Amino acid sequence: MPRPLGRCLHVQGDCKEFVRRPVYLPMSSRQNQFEALVRGHSTDLYRYAYWLCGQDALAQDLVQDTFLRAWRALDKLREVAAVKTWLITILRREHARLFERKSMPSDDIDDFDLTDPQATPERTTEESALRQAIAQLEPKYREPLVLQVLGGFSCAEIAVQLGLGEAAVMTQLFRARQKLKGQLGLEDQAAEVSEL
Amino acid sequence: MNCLEFRRRLGSEPSCTLVDFAAHRAACSFCWAAHARAEEFELRVQRALGVPVPVNLADRILLAQTTQFRHGTRHRRRGFAAFAVAAAASIIVALITLNGPAGTMPELSAMVAEHLEEHVVDADDAGRRVANEDVVGAFAGRGLSLTVVPDGINYVHQCPAGPYRTVHMVMPDSSGPVSVVYVVDRKADKRVDFRSDGMRGRELPLGDGSLVMLAQSDAGFDAIEGAWRSAMAESVALAADPDARLAAIVEIVQNVRAVGRPLAAP
Repeated sequence: MPRPLGRCLHVQGDCKEFVRRPVYLPMSSRQNQFEALVRGHSTDLYRYAYWLCGQDALAQDLVQDTFLRAWRALDKLREVAAVKTWLITILRREHARLFERKSMPSDDIDDFDLTDPQATPERTTEESALRQAIAQLEPKYREPLVLQVLGGFSCAEIAVQLGLGEAAVMTQLFRARQKLKGQLGLEDQAAEVSEL
Repeated sequence: MNCLEFRRRLGSEPSCTLVDFAAHRAACSFCWAAHARAEEFELRVQRALGVPVPVNLADRILLAQTTQFRHGTRHRRRGFAAFAVAAAASIIVALITLNGPAGTMPELSAMVAEHLEEHVVDADDAGRRVANEDVVGAFAGRGLSLTVVPDGINYVHQCPAGPYRTVHMVMPDSSGPVSVVYVVDRKADKRVDFRSDGMRGRELPLGDGSLVMLAQSDAGFDAIEGAWRSAMAESVALAADPDARLAAIVEIVQNVRAVGRPLAAP
């Protein structure tokens, strides 16, 4: 694999996008750092934003606004390892600001745009059912699930992000999975604990 | 850790790395099987959550950052004179809000008006125009290569309007500021002028999208429409192919950075 330019800030996963040739030259080290940040985290952030708001266009704008805010505050970033948490926090605040301005609670979002033009018929059947089920979860169940599965955060980290206790997060995650299994007809798996 | 504790943990954190968790999984064949099923389910959830990411999202963010950084530099130089445009836009919004719902507004324009209501404009200066490369950059960010930039744009930003993606501009006219919004991904059915609660508006199909104008007076609409018709006639949609699109965006950005003028027609 070619050596990436600049310093990779992507904590988890491999930064496939990062090894592309740089778009902007010459760049300051701050600009380098920012570009690494964008290339390393825009995918995860977009997906998180999408499941937060349910709309492609809005999710893109949320991610863009998040990174623009991050650019302005980049000097405050001290712990590179915590960069993903930092970005998620900014995105959640941007989302909250948006819905404060619109005077509507996020619970009202029920119009998920779940079309996937790249999906094959086999994938469509399996994934669309699951996506519908995830979209129908209440935000209090969906958000920790997205943070855990997509973000790779532990229950303790999610608890800090959401301002909840760790036990509450564990309960929400447990219930989220139970609900999904229930909606997908996997009642036998959902009932595994209660049978014990 | 007993079976019940293991299953509870499995339901909330299947990828748990606790030593007790791993030890119980190794010791209990039933829980080992439950863990295997849970891992399979997690994989399905992970695939479902991994919705497709828009092509060149990172490049568009970097382009927006470059554009905004330029705004920021000028902003620091000129102080706080920027609120004039914001005030003008707020007056428009206030008129819409105070005079009740926009009954005769087309749906797309209503979404644009709603966006104006929530969007606090952060322009540089009411008397100063936005640099052409900023306008080109905003349109490039929305997938359009603009080769001609109409005169007199005092504010430009990439914004959402409902589910649609837009370029939001303010163009002062002799009769007052005009909010001009180009909606990239929705084409209006027809050209329509409307009046709604003291506001004048015009919505028209333009290129592959729509142009929406909102102001207190429609005196400047014809001139603005003409300017944008000329500009959009020469604009080119950036290629759908990811590599070609990336190359086009790179070319635009490099041109903006190096030369500070719009691109020649590709």
